[in-house]
Amino acid sequence: MVGYELPFRDELGFCNVLMSALGGDGANMAAKLLFKVGCEELGLDGGYDAKYGSEKKGTPTDVSVRFCEPGTLVRQVGPTTRPHILVVSHADLIRPLELNRGLRAGATCIVNTVKAPGAIRDELCLHSGKIVCVDATRIAFETKSRLNMPLLGVLAHELRFPDEAMRARIARQWPRVAEANLAACSGALTSMTAMEFGEDSYPFLPPLVTRGPIGWRNMLNGGTIDALTHTTAGRDNRLAGRGKVPEFHPESCTSCGICLTVCSDPGGLLWREGRMVGIDDRFCKGCMRCVEVCPETKKGKALTWVGVEVES
Amino acid sequence: MTVLASEPTRKTSTATQKSYLCNGNEAVARAILDIGYDAEGYYPITPSSDVGEAISKAYADGETDLAFIVGTSELAALGICTGVAVAGGRAVDVTSSQGLLLKAEQMPAISGLGLPMVLNLATRDVNAPLNIKNGHSDLYATLGWGWLIFMAPTVQAAYDMNIVAIRVAEAVNLPAIVAYDGFYTSHANRRISVFANRDDVQRFVGPAPFVKTLRGENGRFSLLDVQHPRTFGPYMNDDLINSKVQMDLKFERARAMLPEVFAEFERLSGRRYGFVEQYGDREAERCLVALNTAGEAAKDAVDALAEKGEPVNLVVPMVLRPWPEEEVVKAIGDAKRIVVAERASQYGAGNYLANEIGAGLQRHKNSATIIQRTYGIGGLNFTSDDALAMYELAKVWPKLSDPNERQVKWYYGAWPGDESYKPDQTLVPLTAEQCTLNAGKDGKVNLRDLSLMPNRFDKHSACPGCGIFTTLNLFLRGIDGQVVFLFNTGCGMVVTTGYPLTSFKVPYFHNLFHNASSTATGVVEMVKRFKARGELPEDVTVIAVTGDGGNDIGMDQVIGCALRNDPFILFEYDNKGYMNTGSQLCYTGFKAQRNSNAHLGPRQKGKMTHHKDIIEILRGTFAPYLATVSESHATDMIRKARKAQQTVREGGFAFVKAISVCPLNWGMDEHVGPSAVEAIVNACLHPLYEVEHGITRITVDADKGGRKIPVTEAFRKMGGAYRHLLTPEFEPLVREVQEEVDRRWQRLKAMAEHDLL
Repeated sequence: MVGYELPFRDELGFCNVLMSALGGDGANMAAKLLFKVGCEELGLDGGYDAKYGSEKKGTPTDVSVRFCEPGTLVRQVGPTTRPHILVVSHADLIRPLELNRGLRAGATCIVNTVKAPGAIRDELCLHSGKIVCVDATRIAFETKSRLNMPLLGVLAHELRFPDEAMRARIARQWPRVAEANLAACSGALTSMTAMEFGEDSYPFLPPLVTRGPIGWRNMLNGGTIDALTHTTAGRDNRLAGRGKVPEFHPESCTSCGICLTVCSDPGGLLWREGRMVGIDDRFCKGCMRCVEVCPETKKGKALTWVGVEVES
Repeated sequence: MTVLASEPTRKTSTATQKSYLCNGNEAVARAILDIGYDAEGYYPITPSSDVGEAISKAYADGETDLAFIVGTSELAALGICTGVAVAGGRAVDVTSSQGLLLKAEQMPAISGLGLPMVLNLATRDVNAPLNIKNGHSDLYATLGWGWLIFMAPTVQAAYDMNIVAIRVAEAVNLPAIVAYDGFYTSHANRRISVFANRDDVQRFVGPAPFVKTLRGENGRFSLLDVQHPRTFGPYMNDDLINSKVQMDLKFERARAMLPEVFAEFERLSGRRYGFVEQYGDREAERCLVALNTAGEAAKDAVDALAEKGEPVNLVVPMVLRPWPEEEVVKAIGDAKRIVVAERASQYGAGNYLANEIGAGLQRHKNSATIIQRTYGIGGLNFTSDDALAMYELAKVWPKLSDPNERQVKWYYGAWPGDESYKPDQTLVPLTAEQCTLNAGKDGKVNLRDLSLMPNRFDKHSACPGCGIFTTLNLFLRGIDGQVVFLFNTGCGMVVTTGYPLTSFKVPYFHNLFHNASSTATGVVEMVKRFKARGELPEDVTVIAVTGDGGNDIGMDQVIGCALRNDPFILFEYDNKGYMNTGSQLCYTGFKAQRNSNAHLGPRQKGKMTHHKDIIEILRGTFAPYLATVSESHATDMIRKARKAQQTVREGGFAFVKAISVCPLNWGMDEHVGPSAVEAIVNACLHPLYEVEHGITRITVDADKGGRKIPVTEAFRKMGGAYRHLLTPEFEPLVREVQEEVDRRWQRLKAMAEHDLL
């Protein structure tokens, strides 16, 4: 497309976008659509690569899109480790995944959050660049769209993709929910807040290289795990649960035990000496199965959920 | 002599092409459709599964008439291809990693019998502990199996090499592998060029071979030629060595014809391929040899170094069999220091490619130094930065501070770990006393008491609302004492043991895919032995856990365990598909249900056969205890768990099958699970009963209290993947399902009423 110019270019000619999300957020779909718009509508070339493993709903994943001018040879594979543009589906992924690592100087970071760019800058320890904050969770909820749409809207905007090309493609891809998705994109663009930061506070950090304390010298025979020292007990499932767990009302609870029979994260329901005493929010992923089966007593249900997703 | 394989060429081509955005698997699928195969034998395995999914979609849509046949295992899929080929059809298959190794038995048979076909290999490391990411150890296993091997470093090459491969395979009567990197190519979306008209491709590869084969005009024969009967696959003694000579001669024919085939393909497509891709400076001192995506990525490093005035050479072999020794040696040129980087290791010996190159150089009186590095295993990427590190290594080796780095053969990207790492104990092992609820007293089950049973596992990373851990944990509340787990591959395994953490508080072993049942046999035999000797003080109950898929591919082993009456519990969580691999069909699925390899379209309406009844299959083994359970009927499940454990303690085999929801792939809200399984039970899609040594007892009679509901009511609860079954279009098929479900329910009731059944 005449007149379009990539906002960033690395030494090989690529503008690298990394979307960090949780399984189920729709980051893959959004990235794929973005890639198609770039290639088919704007005549760009590039690649779309994801970090595939066995990502389940609620577990961290990322997708990577790189764009270049046509004629540039696309030779590198796998997700970018040095993004120009970072999209963060959940602000609380920043710290555990160290999403600031590898960000290029002057990077643009689009973050789903209710916080202001200044606060996010400090969470990211961003060397320099632009922070764009958007409350994508609320926008998606209000427009009955999905989390990926407001973020995609902002991302396309930051890439300076023409609005019409993007909107037409979104409408064509998901015709039945076109209105909701387009409303989500527009809502994001009108409500986002952005701020630029200079090289004044944080050092540049190279890409993250994961090297755990266990290596070839001290790995147990055959990669065995010692359960006495390495269970998942210390893990925090609040990331996957998005902070939504059932509310427990002890006065309504008869400890009938039905909730126990349907819990998909056994341990999330706290029982002591044969009595139900509460929810462990570091364990529970908020599927609300227990709420579904909790019987109505004279004092109401012991397990309830208000049904509104709240960004933690 | 720079050969620009797999790079866009600006030459004119004779065939019209068009731009196509796709990933490597979709490119392969596109090639399969363009070539025009008679059949694809298929079994899913990450990362190659999508090829079959795309073909199955094309079939459902009426875009192809190829026979798409889902086998019960990788071996079955290739057996199907063998049948297609010996009949005279053109067959194609796709696989990865251990999937390939399960086919291993059939692989040399296909080449030995001279049956051309193409096997697409989305490479993936072969290993345990399990890792599903890239590695070339699967590819390397095939080097001596008598298959032509073509490499595809890019998405474009994955498409192109398929077209070249079948042409050569059918010309020389050998099968061919097209190897492209798992994930890095299979899942990489790129813009490629594909032929606009299938005719152009089909003219290049030649017509479907059956008629010529039947007439014996292509050096092959058809099993279906009844006018001229022939015996295929005879028993052979000393003559076998002559068959080996014949195979080698075929490779020489392939070697001789390949340059012309590549040239012809270039005329057609404008894209040039050869035995070897050489890039950079042939006169350079340093050279890197790397396959597929690593070789492609290294080109940027070559360019960067050239810009800095440091010329280097890069050699990317494109054909591994026949091995192009002359071309490789020539391409290496004047290099004195060669790093051969490989995505695999030949433990305890020099690496494969390095050895072959070394031998070639020696034959050509070239004394260049070869440094071997194993890189990029199991998810470690290889970028131009890594290629730069390889060129640096070529420069400085062996003057390095790390003695390991001074070795000829070492690993790039491995780390030693911190030997002072001594983590605190965080788990107090469960005791048998803690885990004993004095179960089974009067057969009474009190749900509240069940809360006293400690959980045998901690946090896992399954999707919220997953049925696996709901059903498994409920079942375990009925199991007293010490438990040892054996898991088949599947979601249940993947989400619990991400290294270096484990969810399990009790001993656990994941063996490959479908082997848990036989592995359990080995374990319980040792329990018996060590207990008899007084060397094992604890009583343990061995529980093998599998998805429904594990009992498709592993059915024979399960039958063996039941027939031997091995004392362990086999617990199946049935979520109606291969959910960990991407929602492909399992034989447990309901007729007309949608799967990623059983699509809805004008030609096909989802899964084509009725759901498998594994209890009926196992009934014939006369195993002491078979049962079905559901989380919706907790006390029923606990009773059955206790009976299963009693059976095992008395020395017998127990099989328990649970219905298990998959919110992700069923497309259902996470909280709906409990009511969905209740509906499934009430619709008799999963009736609750038990079979004790052949005698049937229905434990939850849906007919009592008017609970029985039409199957559609259950499908309504089961989420988006089943919603189409409620539309008028599917009414006839759903009626068929209802009739079959009712027929089976009536049979079950008749058996339950009979004293002997």
